[in-house]
Amino acid sequence: MSDYIIEMKNITKKFKGIVANENINLSIKKGEIFAILGENGAGKSTLMSMLFGMNKPDEGEIYINGQPRDIKSPNDAYKLNIGMVHQHFKLVSEYTITENIVLGNEPMKKKFGLFPHVDLKEANQKVKELSQKYGLQVNPTDIIKNTTVSTMQRVEILKMLYKEAEILIFDEPTAVLTPQEIELLLEVIVNLKKSGKTIILITHKLDEVKKVANRCAILNKGKLIDIQEVANISTQDMARLMVAKEMSFNIYKPTIELGDIILDINNLCVKTNIDVVKNVSFKIHAGEIFSIAGVSGNGQVEIADAICGILPCKGSIKFNNIEISSLSVRERVNIGYIPEDRHKHGLILDFDISRNAVLRDYYKPQFCKDNIILKNEFVKFADSLISKYDIRCANGAKTNMRSMSGGNQQKVIIARETSRISKLVIFVQPTRGLDIGARQNIHNEILRLRAMGTAILLISLELDEIMQLSDTIGVIYNGEIQTIKEASQLSKEDVGEFMMGVHA
Amino acid sequence: MDTIIIDGMSFSLPLLIAAIGCIYCERSGIINLAIEGFMGVGAFSGALAVVLTSNIFPQGGIASFILAMTCAILGATLFSLLHALLCIKFSANQTISGITMNILAIALTTFLTKQINSSLFNKPSAKLELGITQKFTIPYLSEIPIIGAFFQEIYIFNIVIIIVAILAWYFLYYRKFGVYLRACGDNPQAVAACGIDVVKTRMYAIMISGALSGIAGISFAYSIFANFSSNIYVGYGYLSIAALIFGNWKIIPTLFACLIFGFSRSLGYSISSMLELPSTFSDIIMTLPYILTLLLLIFFSKNNKMPKALGEIYDQSKR
Repeated sequence: MSDYIIEMKNITKKFKGIVANENINLSIKKGEIFAILGENGAGKSTLMSMLFGMNKPDEGEIYINGQPRDIKSPNDAYKLNIGMVHQHFKLVSEYTITENIVLGNEPMKKKFGLFPHVDLKEANQKVKELSQKYGLQVNPTDIIKNTTVSTMQRVEILKMLYKEAEILIFDEPTAVLTPQEIELLLEVIVNLKKSGKTIILITHKLDEVKKVANRCAILNKGKLIDIQEVANISTQDMARLMVAKEMSFNIYKPTIELGDIILDINNLCVKTNIDVVKNVSFKIHAGEIFSIAGVSGNGQVEIADAICGILPCKGSIKFNNIEISSLSVRERVNIGYIPEDRHKHGLILDFDISRNAVLRDYYKPQFCKDNIILKNEFVKFADSLISKYDIRCANGAKTNMRSMSGGNQQKVIIARETSRISKLVIFVQPTRGLDIGARQNIHNEILRLRAMGTAILLISLELDEIMQLSDTIGVIYNGEIQTIKEASQLSKEDVGEFMMGVHA
Repeated sequence: MDTIIIDGMSFSLPLLIAAIGCIYCERSGIINLAIEGFMGVGAFSGALAVVLTSNIFPQGGIASFILAMTCAILGATLFSLLHALLCIKFSANQTISGITMNILAIALTTFLTKQINSSLFNKPSAKLELGITQKFTIPYLSEIPIIGAFFQEIYIFNIVIIIVAILAWYFLYYRKFGVYLRACGDNPQAVAACGIDVVKTRMYAIMISGALSGIAGISFAYSIFANFSSNIYVGYGYLSIAALIFGNWKIIPTLFACLIFGFSRSLGYSISSMLELPSTFSDIIMTLPYILTLLLLIFFSKNNKMPKALGEIYDQSKR
């Protein structure tokens, strides 16, 4: 018997010629929390998807409990007691929590000794026991679509436990959670370890690794860089290995004199099917980064949409001392908007860069003459943006958006929105899903705009980002602004409490 | 009154079984507008078997009935595999595939009927003449006033349909297969992650919709219409789809929608024969089910919740 529960030997995986994993060797001990660290695209998820049977390695072997195993499908993985909690939850939204947990393994019962049917009562009971045993609170009969993100995640974990998984793979589990929920999840993970489970944690958040993991493997561009005892390595060193270049954790932010009031919002109310934004008022000056912190879905995105004119609203929005709340989106000139979902609202993915670059200006005289669009002008303009903003693309202005990385897609949006003469730029979740390098670029861009005297509204779910960048922080909870303070007067913990609506 | 109920039932039940077939297919996530085509091919296969064997098994007899049913189910299931091939294997647009199936079914069955009639029976006709299957009346129950009509002159098809419908309901909601099938229509990735074969489940769902539509088709041909030609089923496939949409992709509410359609039709017939209207007016009355469809659409559409993954092409690599 080998000491290791999992051994991956000389694993190589290629996708259409791109090497996702190159000759990786790693061994995981039974009962430890093993973290796999790396930037987006470093190959962490690919590596683990091979352990879970979703991909097959091109070369190399996987040993489970000392036996060589050929894991062809998730089903094979379950049989070897390997379970994975995916980053994007795989749940049936119309089914109850129980139905989701037992899916594929339903207990059966015979009615009148004749008609077998799925025994939900029994299943509910089992789920209840399981949830109590591991401290994962859920109500078995709730329908998934009515539950919160953190509940769904608990359901995913229970699903694996129900399948008697001994090895649990967590793929970026904290990306969607609030700080308090993250704490809870980390506790759960530690508890699982105590009850003898082996845990693999895929992440790029160093502090979480430091908090719970025993050992960590660091991947960079598909290669295994190092495996370390977490206790023996500092977070700075981890980060250095991850990006393989020195990087500063503290952003250099010069002090700037605030200018005139650019945006003045008074008693803003937005109603969709419910009142999502209630009497919100704040001001943003030239050269100020004003952040709205809050848990997802508390009205922050609706504020941004109202300022841009996408959503109708009540109350007053003064931009440069002019009331703009009744103007159309196009009439609200000089406002840049980087939307939350770059695929849905920021770009047309099947268009090339040049057409995406002019999305907001294509009708203006420089791009359109006698109602005929001037494609050459599009390309010229896009070329200028590509060099100015250092956008990496394979075919220049003709590159299809879909083929580009998330960071470069985001750069195209930022280039489009900030190259217009913008006095106010609204960033909603600008670094969502991006790796450290791309984040750094975008943070620098935000700071560059600030130095030029642009007013900036930053809406983010990531507290670290807000704490690093903001001059002023407003915290929103349930559609109402809880507090507005200078960034220096608020601690991360304070903001967290306001976000949850529990600040004393 | 009795005829309204008798006719209403024998029209509603084939609609219901076709609609249940379509529910299976759509709850698994595959749009199925091909119900009408499946019905047509099913009716044709069954009718052909009856006509070809009428020397051995007398028309209207029980052997002939069983043969018709079996061939209708087989024919329609085979035809439905074409839809499965297009939608699952080649990831074709499911709406277009469905409509193509319908057009193909009409053209194919008309062509074959004409060819067979002229070569085998020497009469150039686009119709296969059929008898009517046996009807029977349940003693005692049928003597109850008004409700008794439900137990009079029942086509044997109706009994089969009721049994199949109950089985279909049981399998869809209480057996693992049904649970997986419905989950496929909501989030196929989740189902696959639990180690269940989405492609196979959807394949079976399409085949079931074919088989059940085949039953519906032969029921129309071998009972109320007493012949097969391509115009006996035109419109009824879409009507059953309308019924399941009002029924919100659930079997019990769909049953009521089918009953409303069936009874509005038989009511229309009775009214027009009672008033002894000329045929132009009775044609207008026959539009009743469709006008009803339009009205119901206006009132019920906003509460409709279709399966979440309906029509989405399943991509295994999507995460």
